[in-house]
Amino acid sequence: MMQSMKKMFVHTMITALVFVGFTQTVQAAIVSTEQVVSATAAQQNRAKISAAFDRADVQVELQKMGVTPEEAKARVAALSDAETASIAHRVDTMPAGGDGLIGGLIFIFVLLLVTDIIGLTKVFPFTKSVRH
Amino acid sequence: MRSFFSRLPGYALALGLLSGCAGPQTTALLSAPRADLPRQLELTATPFIAQERYQCGPAALAMSLRAAGFAVDADALVPQVYLPQREGSLQVEMIAAGRRAGALSVTIPPRVDALVAELAAGNPVLVLQNLSLPIAPKWHYAVAIGYDVDRRDIILRSGTTERLVMPISTFEHTWARSGYWGMVTLAPGHLPATAEEDKVVDALVAAEKSSPPGATRKTYALAARRWPDNLTLALGLGNTAYAAGDKAAAAEAYQRASERHPDSGAAANNLAVALMDLGQLKAARAAAEKALALGGPWRDAALDTLASIQRAEKSRKR
Repeated sequence: MMQSMKKMFVHTMITALVFVGFTQTVQAAIVSTEQVVSATAAQQNRAKISAAFDRADVQVELQKMGVTPEEAKARVAALSDAETASIAHRVDTMPAGGDGLIGGLIFIFVLLLVTDIIGLTKVFPFTKSVRH
Repeated sequence: MRSFFSRLPGYALALGLLSGCAGPQTTALLSAPRADLPRQLELTATPFIAQERYQCGPAALAMSLRAAGFAVDADALVPQVYLPQREGSLQVEMIAAGRRAGALSVTIPPRVDALVAELAAGNPVLVLQNLSLPIAPKWHYAVAIGYDVDRRDIILRSGTTERLVMPISTFEHTWARSGYWGMVTLAPGHLPATAEEDKVVDALVAAEKSSPPGATRKTYALAARRWPDNLTLALGLGNTAYAAGDKAAAAEAYQRASERHPDSGAAANNLAVALMDLGQLKAARAAAEKALALGGPWRDAALDTLASIQRAEKSRKR
């Protein structure tokens, strides 16, 4: 009796393991509409931030800090989607010409953000500085 | 003394409003009404639900949803949208509760002419008004159901009044103080007359998550026809068809999405999955390989799909 129960237990375990093995094989899956939307948004945000680094006035400031735009862009690529969204939102409020007192303040804000990312400063709590 | 001075701008604003001039949008609307819209109309079939104390939000939402054919009860909406401490409802919760009921809830562009266009399309518009002045706001949700260009009136289901006729200029003043916030709640298979592309896409993606696939599929089809270049809509159409079990229609939608957006790895991957399910392994493999070559965020998904296709190919050979 005991013997046959043991046998049954072993059989059940083997069957279960086999099934676990099967369910662990990769399955083809549909990319959901929501995933596409968030990926598109993240992509646009990254493009927006990269474009900000291409601006001449930003590059001048970056050079003063001894940072190349390429380096800054590489750091942006390492940010999470949520962080990119947060920065892109601030890039949106950046002045087109960069003149005027308020414009200047926002510009400094963005600049600190950039230097935060690169690890020169640590002003904003949400940035992840990169170790050199 | 101090409070008087701090309120001074408010008083000045009040004086400006008391001068009684019509809002700029109303003036524009009345001086040059759109020829394709009727001069007067009233959506009389919109049901009336009198609000309980402070609870204009649930009542207005229930009216808007019932007009679209959803059997909802204002009392059942209270816990979803009513905040007891605030004695009111937040706009974002009104939108979300509409979606939970299965409707496509979309905010309309903040303009009087957009409101009129929605009414002309047969959609009552849920509006947020500030009936008082900015210094002592009295927020109120109502449902606009009609207008009369010649008499310069707007008709609302509001509070405990079944048919409130208000001069359209007064309405514009009260509506402007909410930033012209208005929304429509539509049944599946209907699109708002005025809403912008990105608003509709957001609303549809949100609705897809919370309602049966068949419901959003019809609306996706309409939206994809109106904005044929939108990748999200094209994929949403395919995804809802796929979820409903219509693999052939899904493959067709993905095919179209993939042709219009040849750089979309998601479209190629989903096409491969649908074709594999249909047993068209050769075409499925081509699509999956394309998705893999495109890489990007869907590279892993493409790898999994390709592996599944390879397994299907092997089991077929056996």
